[in-house]
Amino acid sequence: MEILLVITVLIPLLGSLVLFTAPGLNQRQARAFALGAALLALALTAILLVAFRPGVSAPQFAHGNQGGPYGWGWMERPDIRFALGLDGLSVWLFGLTSLLMITAIFASWESITERAPLHYAFLLALQTGLLGLFASLDVILFYIFFEFTLIPLFFLIGIWGGPERQRASITFFLYTLGGSLLTLLGVIALVVIHYQHSFNHVLTFSIPELTRGLATLPWKEWTETESWSSPQVLVFLLLFAGFAIKVPMFPFHSWLPLAHVEAPTAGSILLAGVLLKVGSYGLMRFNLGMTPFGAKALFPLLASLAVIGIIYGALAALAQTDVKRLIAYSSVSHMGFIVLGLFSMTEVGIDGAAIQMLNHGITTGALFACVGIIYERYHTRQMAEMSGLWDRLPLFAFFFILASMGSAAVPGLNGFVGEFPILAGTFARSPTAAVIASFGMVLGAYYLFWMLQRVVFGPLHEPHSGHGEHQDHAGPLNTGSHEDTPIRPVGWHEIAGLTPLMVLIVVIGVYPKPFLDRIRPSAAVIASSFHKMDDDEAEKTSALNSMRMGAASTGSARNRDNSAALEPNTVNMAAGPLTQVVNKGDR
Amino acid sequence: MFPPSALDVARQSFVILLPEILLLLTATAMMTAAAFVRLPRRIWCITSAVALGLAVLVLLYGSPQGTDPYASAVLNDAFSNYARLLLLLSGLVVVAIAHDQVDDGRAGEFFGSLLMIDAGAMVVAASNELVTLFVGLELVSIPTYLLLYLSRRTEKTQEAATKYFFLSIFSSGLMLFGLAYLYGSIGVSNLKALAYLSNHVSGALQPQFALVAVVFVMAGLGFRVAAVPFHFYAPDVYQGSPTVVAAMLSWVPKAVGYFAFARTITAVVSAGGPTSDLGHRAVLLAWIIAVVTMTLGNTVALAQQNLKRLLAYSSIAHAGYLMIGVAVAFRNTPDSGMVYFGIEGILFYLTAYAMMTLGAFGVIVMLSTPERPVETVDDLSGLARSHPLSALAMAICLFSLAGIPPLAGFWGKFELFASAFSATSGNGPDSRLFFWLAVIAVLNSAVGAYYYLRIVVGMYLKPATGLPLRTTLAWPTVAAVSACTIFTVAFGINPLPIARATRLAAEAAIHLPDPSGEEGLRPVAVVPGAVAR
Repeated sequence: MEILLVITVLIPLLGSLVLFTAPGLNQRQARAFALGAALLALALTAILLVAFRPGVSAPQFAHGNQGGPYGWGWMERPDIRFALGLDGLSVWLFGLTSLLMITAIFASWESITERAPLHYAFLLALQTGLLGLFASLDVILFYIFFEFTLIPLFFLIGIWGGPERQRASITFFLYTLGGSLLTLLGVIALVVIHYQHSFNHVLTFSIPELTRGLATLPWKEWTETESWSSPQVLVFLLLFAGFAIKVPMFPFHSWLPLAHVEAPTAGSILLAGVLLKVGSYGLMRFNLGMTPFGAKALFPLLASLAVIGIIYGALAALAQTDVKRLIAYSSVSHMGFIVLGLFSMTEVGIDGAAIQMLNHGITTGALFACVGIIYERYHTRQMAEMSGLWDRLPLFAFFFILASMGSAAVPGLNGFVGEFPILAGTFARSPTAAVIASFGMVLGAYYLFWMLQRVVFGPLHEPHSGHGEHQDHAGPLNTGSHEDTPIRPVGWHEIAGLTPLMVLIVVIGVYPKPFLDRIRPSAAVIASSFHKMDDDEAEKTSALNSMRMGAASTGSARNRDNSAALEPNTVNMAAGPLTQVVNKGDR
Repeated sequence: MFPPSALDVARQSFVILLPEILLLLTATAMMTAAAFVRLPRRIWCITSAVALGLAVLVLLYGSPQGTDPYASAVLNDAFSNYARLLLLLSGLVVVAIAHDQVDDGRAGEFFGSLLMIDAGAMVVAASNELVTLFVGLELVSIPTYLLLYLSRRTEKTQEAATKYFFLSIFSSGLMLFGLAYLYGSIGVSNLKALAYLSNHVSGALQPQFALVAVVFVMAGLGFRVAAVPFHFYAPDVYQGSPTVVAAMLSWVPKAVGYFAFARTITAVVSAGGPTSDLGHRAVLLAWIIAVVTMTLGNTVALAQQNLKRLLAYSSIAHAGYLMIGVAVAFRNTPDSGMVYFGIEGILFYLTAYAMMTLGAFGVIVMLSTPERPVETVDDLSGLARSHPLSALAMAICLFSLAGIPPLAGFWGKFELFASAFSATSGNGPDSRLFFWLAVIAVLNSAVGAYYYLRIVVGMYLKPATGLPLRTTLAWPTVAAVSACTIFTVAFGINPLPIARATRLAAEAAIHLPDPSGEEGLRPVAVVPGAVAR
């Protein structure tokens, strides 16, 4: 199985290399080949997902002994390893990447005619970067994949993007690079701190080992978080810099609308669907997992930024006239929810955030694919110029409505399964933040339905296809005005790209249990360190602190339940019933 | 065991220096012959390439014995071997790039100078004696003047050469002054003995003298590596000289400067351990130079349109990153057991830098013709359409310069930053300094990425402008550029060989063996040849 995981990660890269070395292929051959490679990767991913055992928090499919050093030696001194494995936090994002790649390839099916082999080569290279990133069990390997994703996306936006593509690609690249270099420093700092202060001076780059080791570091200053310059807070901020830009959190979001609007449809799908999740995944894995005290110390700041992001993103979305920009800003808002859930530091909130990453990837990916359908036909995305598209493209309307409703967290669809626990978890930590954030949900429903009303409903009004610049990447459809060529109905490839996403929107909304079962054990490990902190605080206040528990527990869900039963634990008491409510509501 | 006799030492030094001697003999023969016979440049180029190749073989398979580090004027430790191999291989690349860049009349002198420069750099890397080191440095400088005058006799070239000449003489003077103080502060001129005495004999090192030495040596070497405030010549000289000479200038003097840093002051100053006052001042000096150099190099490079000026400022910025390694090395004592040594980071970074900067210059040389020169960023517009492979090579080199994984340049930056972090251990006075040094360095590399990216944008995203670039490319240049590019990728994916070699080299550079035989420290000072009377 471990070999299968490695193969899954590397297959897209292989396909990409083949396409790079064969620029003579025509559009049809290139897209067929890329689709084949992506389908193969998807099939292997599916096997891995089926084989993934629920209820286990340790990484699976990893080479090496349980708990021991994972993977194959790469640099022997220091011991940087080629270690891949999946756990509950990463497994669904891994699957999401493989799935959205199919959608992305289908979205470029007709629209990419220029330098098609190169386009698909970059797409597949991007897939390897993303798959590798989610599967990495080594911090340096993670970072390498993390940075590597920049290069294909830079070219995807820069070559096949809209009129402002050069500025967009450069802004995107530099903004992300600047942040992620700080993250690299944070990662190095974690490793060096672990080396200098752990027993026996262990120099390790392994993510599970670091997470475990840092939680039990025998260094008093590490858990002191009084000032901004205490070590853990500083390291937290370094790590945060890169991930917050990637998410993007307010006020680091300014690259996102530009990059989205200029990116080709495939680029937008992957950017919104997966790339943004890289940020929240990093926050979860590194910031929460390795520097929990920093998160706790900075909670007011983080929660405020997340809430501002939610409201600001929603208001900005309301002001847009361009559908793609609107969806881009809705991403800012929805990612704010995910971050809020993470920093609620409760098990419910983290669970919700983890599943919401998957949900947001599916719905936003689908929305961008739908926008691609409009743009390919009318070469405009201005909402003022179109209405009543239901009559012309009924299938498109169906997809668009379902995806929007999923995104607006309508109960019974997937967005609800994520956002409700997030709010519930946040409420346990900070009722104010939860209340303000829930306005964001209302606003979200407002701008999404408003968008639907203008684009899908009403009397049929189609833009003239002469409108808008003829971009050099646009396909043959672009050449004639649409009075001559009738609007092409939604094609098989568009249906094939969107249908799996629609199915998932409904399935996750109705029956999220199999998804949550696999997420929970790993999320519980992260939440456990916060339970520990909360417990410690409760103990301190109740003046019973004769026996301090050792540093954070190794953290199985069972342990946590025991401690919750023994200790007065406000969070859990608040969270318990709510979880049940959610489960009931889902069925 | 008795200390080796002076004759033994001399014989061993001779054996160790065989590759350099081979290069110098060839160079001398070439330059002498060039005055009398007129041969096509092909012959000169092949001769020098063969000489370099033979030198590589001698270096790899000559296997001279180890010498007594406290007696010998040159060393063949891991550091010396690694550095010399790197210089020889990069010398081959430079020769390949230069093969069609001079006219037949001057080819003999041109390639002869290239060989001498390489030999001089190798002497510096191997040196274990203040005087040998200085001789090596001059052996680099003097042929460089020649190269700058030789290539093209235009006014601009003359200006560049004159500028370089005067500044170089000035810096040599500073360097010599510093070395004199270094000698005066302890009283030996053998570098290992200097380091050993300052490390193990309390009070052997006169801190005031040593501080003066540190300041002046850093100033002298700062010129070679083009560190602020001695960087002024770099952009003008690069722009004024032919591209291939600029390529050589951006690499060899920088390598020489950092090898000299590693050989001279870092070993001596690190002596007092993490709390010594001298060490603190030296770290502070290197810190300031590093921060100012990288910031200035990066910000000014942003505004450049001329490719050579841009690469000149980028090389200044890289000198700043490399200064991090020097700052860290001031804190690396032989027994400190660091996760990463500063010198290790320097060596790794220099290796990556050689490949990526020579590769980038190589592409420019490869595509330029007198009728259609590649001078500005815009001259490369649309390269991806007309020359996809050249554009790919250039893009890989530029991404590597920007430090994007998985390319060799990333690992170089990684090792430097990691060395800075591992120097933050404990509560030494410099912990915070090193932390902020690393933070400033990463912010700088983000800024730096912009101007590299601008070139990539031009190549890939903009339509071609002006005349088409040349299409028939010379195979030696193509081979050199491909080698640089392929190794940049290969060592990015598997950096283990270099990581291992640089680690060994760094350990060798700061290793101080027990003086053989007699008790105490007396032998160090009385070993024949170690004391300059």
